[in-house]
Amino acid sequence: MKKKVLATLLSVAMVATLLAGCGAKTEEAAPAAAEAPAAEEAAPAEDAAAEAPAADAAASGDYSFEIIVKSYQSSYWQAAVTGVNQEAEKLGVKVNCTGPNAESDIADQVNMLNNAINNAPNGIGLAACDQDACLDALQTAMDKGIPVVCFDSGIPNAPAGSVLSTIATDNYGAGATAADNLYAALKDKIASATAPVRIGEVNQEATSESITSRGLGFIDKFAELATADGKKVAVVGNDYYVSGCKDKGDEASADIIIEVAVPAQTTVELCATEASVILNKADTIGMFGSNQVAAEGILTANDNLNVLGTDPASTILAAGFDAGSVIKGAIKDGKMFGAVTQSPLAMGITTVDVLKDIADGKTVADVATDGYWYDSTNMEDDSIAPNLYD
Amino acid sequence: MGDVILTMKGIDKSFPGVHALDQVDFEVKTGEVHALMGENGAGKSTLMKVLTGIYTKDSGTITYEGKEVEFHNTREAQDAGIVIVHQELNMLGHLTVAQNIFIGREFKKGIGIDDKKMNEEAKKLFDRLNIDIDPNETMSNLTVGKQQMCEIAKAISHEAKVIIFDEPSAALTEAEIEELFKIIRDLRKQNLGIVYISHRMDEIKVITDRVTVMRDGGYVGTLITEECTKSDIINMMVGRVIYEDPKQKSMVAPDAPVVLKVEHLNAGKMVQDVSFELKKGEILGFSGLMGAGRTETARAIFGADPKESGDIYVNGEKVIINSPEDAVNHGIGYLSEDRKRYGIVVQKTIAENSTMACLEDYMKGLFIDKKAEHDVTQKYVDSLATKTPSVDQLVVNLSGGNQQKVVIAKWLVKNCDILIFDEPTRGIDVGAKSEIYKLMNKLTEEGKSIIMISSEMTEILRMSDRIVIMCEGKKTGEIGIEEASQELIMNMATREIS
Amino acid sequence: MSNNVSAPALKKKSVVSKLGGQKFIVFLVVIALYAFFCLMSPDFRKYSTAMSILDYSYYIALMAIGVTFPLITGGVDLSIGTGLICYSLAGGYLVLHCGWPTGAGLLVSVVFGIVIGILNGVLVAGMNLPPFLATLCTCMITRGLGSLCSQRFGISWPTAGSEGSWFRTIFKINVNGTQIPIGFLWILILVLIMAFVLNHTKVGRYTIAIGSNKEATILSGVNVKFYHIMAYAISGLFAGLAAIAYSAVFATVQPGTGAGFELEAIGGAIIGGVSATGGAGSIEGSLIGVFVICLLKTGLPYIGLQANWQQIITGMVLIAAVLVDIIKRKRAKV
Repeated sequence: MKKKVLATLLSVAMVATLLAGCGAKTEEAAPAAAEAPAAEEAAPAEDAAAEAPAADAAASGDYSFEIIVKSYQSSYWQAAVTGVNQEAEKLGVKVNCTGPNAESDIADQVNMLNNAINNAPNGIGLAACDQDACLDALQTAMDKGIPVVCFDSGIPNAPAGSVLSTIATDNYGAGATAADNLYAALKDKIASATAPVRIGEVNQEATSESITSRGLGFIDKFAELATADGKKVAVVGNDYYVSGCKDKGDEASADIIIEVAVPAQTTVELCATEASVILNKADTIGMFGSNQVAAEGILTANDNLNVLGTDPASTILAAGFDAGSVIKGAIKDGKMFGAVTQSPLAMGITTVDVLKDIADGKTVADVATDGYWYDSTNMEDDSIAPNLYD
Repeated sequence: MGDVILTMKGIDKSFPGVHALDQVDFEVKTGEVHALMGENGAGKSTLMKVLTGIYTKDSGTITYEGKEVEFHNTREAQDAGIVIVHQELNMLGHLTVAQNIFIGREFKKGIGIDDKKMNEEAKKLFDRLNIDIDPNETMSNLTVGKQQMCEIAKAISHEAKVIIFDEPSAALTEAEIEELFKIIRDLRKQNLGIVYISHRMDEIKVITDRVTVMRDGGYVGTLITEECTKSDIINMMVGRVIYEDPKQKSMVAPDAPVVLKVEHLNAGKMVQDVSFELKKGEILGFSGLMGAGRTETARAIFGADPKESGDIYVNGEKVIINSPEDAVNHGIGYLSEDRKRYGIVVQKTIAENSTMACLEDYMKGLFIDKKAEHDVTQKYVDSLATKTPSVDQLVVNLSGGNQQKVVIAKWLVKNCDILIFDEPTRGIDVGAKSEIYKLMNKLTEEGKSIIMISSEMTEILRMSDRIVIMCEGKKTGEIGIEEASQELIMNMATREIS
Repeated sequence: MSNNVSAPALKKKSVVSKLGGQKFIVFLVVIALYAFFCLMSPDFRKYSTAMSILDYSYYIALMAIGVTFPLITGGVDLSIGTGLICYSLAGGYLVLHCGWPTGAGLLVSVVFGIVIGILNGVLVAGMNLPPFLATLCTCMITRGLGSLCSQRFGISWPTAGSEGSWFRTIFKINVNGTQIPIGFLWILILVLIMAFVLNHTKVGRYTIAIGSNKEATILSGVNVKFYHIMAYAISGLFAGLAAIAYSAVFATVQPGTGAGFELEAIGGAIIGGVSATGGAGSIEGSLIGVFVICLLKTGLPYIGLQANWQQIITGMVLIAAVLVDIIKRKRAKV
């Protein structure tokens, strides 16, 4: 028996050593990774938060806030957390950032929210994975007098008075921005088309308001622009989006078909399979991926198909969402036409600002942060580059 | 008989609460077959496990080839030339015969295994044993008898000098036993020392040279087989004389009603057009060789295996039996030959096992009526004379014979009037055996009817009122006990079917 | 394998079983499925679709090759899915954030896999934990470890064309604009090697022996613990190799994912004839089984079925495969 225990301890030790090795490097590398973008971003992002707070930092030193993000899956959240930490340091408040391993771990997140409430902080910043799962916890928070600020995604059905402010990208507007730019590029091709053309959209299941409204924003705006030019539009595919858009049209008589595909899980290989189905269709001229994973799925599908590009005459134009090194690289290489990025860094900063305002007793309102269109022509611009996290 | 090759002296071994071996002496000479006998729990297997290094002895000495030895595992014992052919076959069904024989010491060729050479070596072993088995056949495709031959081949492939056979004949047919004896005689001629553990008295007389008897973990004595009688050995084992005389005449009245009638039953290859009747108060023996289809017939009647066609009448009424549940509802109980697998749940108490088939009769609302369960179990523990300190004893702690009684109690509690006993005394020691026989007679006196499947001829002749003989899935004969003889039954059981 | 089957044994076997039994039938199913999808969807016939099917099959195929060993011992390894992601994240983190060369990062993935595999083996063989439980625990552990190793952020291995991206050409090379799926060649070679290991080496022989009758194998004097651990180590090794395949085919690896991958690999192995109770199975069968899963996964969206149906249908195919296994064992008993 002793031998067995020894053997087990040994193997645990082996794993631990490996991790420690990894962890040690991690610690020295992580700040470097975090600091690099932070330094660059400081200039443009800070215009929201003026220099003034330096003075009252000392007074507010006792505030502590709990921040719960949706996940750490994408670099999007990395930027948001960086913003939060940066602002907290500046204001001299304590923040504790947590989040589940994956955006689909809804129950984990609710647990974290309950734990956060039990810690009795001065305020909670929440990016909810699910629009409905957090409602009970929000009621509890309100009963205990803990103010909650939602960021990234709103909670439309929250108990009245529990969420004091929602700081989110205007997702519907951001989706529309993608449609604006994609339509502009495809306009001539659509006008001159003799047969119906197809626009694909890869989206995710309707559990998150932010991503579904992007999808709907894209569909509605694209349809609106096309209708204005005298074209008929039909929406087909996933039921949620077909019934959720303003006008689903009639597929038989339409000039433009918008096809929405939703994989069973938001994983890159399933997104890629769905994307390649649409990319394979001869009448497809444009694609939209409504978040980072979906956009990368489109690019993965293109690895084998090689049909994407920036010339509407000979290639399919793809628009993405969010940034990350893969999407940025694809846009630089002319594989992806462009993408909409949010400003997670500013969102993180604003969240801490709003939480502190509430703690200071100020009245706050909802804050809408913008989505920016970027493509190979403007990605280096000073107004855009800081929001293009890796 | 040659020189002494192995001597065990004053072997002592205790387990918590049990003094399993108490100063046991045992020796084996080259060129002899030495029987090791004793009732279940007498310590035979424990002694052999001490010898082959599975257990460590507390005290005593083992001298092998003139040197004192102590093996720490079976591998060391094997390497020294002492191997054991286990009671439960240790075959690896998915591997081939040759792969089984050489498991743990494969011939290597580079980084791989040299299967070709292993097949050749296995072939040589089989030639030496004069048996015809394809070394490349998958083990699970062989009959039990053939599998045992492979075990023996594996044993001698270790350059064995001493081979221990632990109840080798338990699962074999008469013909296979003959073949086994031929091999054992060959090995004896080759000057190996052979230890033969068995319950079957008649085999001991046929194959062994000396007999050592153990009782309750102690050494009783050693006899020269030729110079002793069966009852000498049995007396040493149990200290009482048991008679195994055949039944002279049927105990059933000629006009007794038919309780079970089976007509033209078909169920696969093993059950072809079987018809018979069972009368009230009768013990109907089912005889035949291994694989004759007796168990399959019983399972088909009981609804455990699907039937293709055939009618079953219980008390004159036609019944449909598609599952054991149906059979039990019609008063048919089945005592499997493989108790541990089908008969009882060993990790449960006697009471829980006894009421398992009819728990709904012992419920008080949603809960089990423990008191009623205890009372009825106690009643049958008493009437069957089950040896146990309490009805709350776990079945695993009972001896084989007493476990069998728990299975019988289960069906009696359920009020089954037709009982199918499949090999009721397999693996049960002599004393318990006669108790089971007494019990069966008592049951028939009470009006129960019994189908008894048995491979032991003496058992068939001793217990049955009438005998059905099967061969290769067909009924080949039916005789009353008055006209039955061993020769007649064997003749029918081996009849050529055109 | 059975190169010298004797004449009487041959007579007993049907044509199908001579050709490999269930494997052969499943192979026909793969061809039939491919033909069916081609018939239903013109786009499915394209070369690029076949490329995608292969691309997305590599990591599942590698996991299936490895997990066949624990399955044959009568156990299971549920940690390979989340493990794969964990190993890729650990290796990727070192490459992207610690400046390690790509090769070293990939090596870390594989070694990490072997370590977790050995841990599984020690838990199962050394400490007698039920395999289901032990590997379910390591499944959770690797899921957490993966997030920890990458500081909970997604890892984007170097994309094709950028510096350090040579490993992406392990599985796919571009010859004059045509994609060549050389990854499939490596898979075939690994299948051959592991089939040899399973059928002609001690590791494989004892893996089958443990699955047939563990007690008997111990009594035969085999160091069962060692070989039992080896079976899990092989599973871990191949989960590590699968991590390389996953990193090479997909752009970004996200922590928290991977749960469910193991079911596709185990499902493929079972479809390919690995007995759900151990003892029987083959590497080539597992590979063929994986392609049933991959074809369904890729093909069903092409015939216009919404994604959730794919999971439902895959689940039903698995039930069918397990039923076949049960019927086979029943027949063998009679």
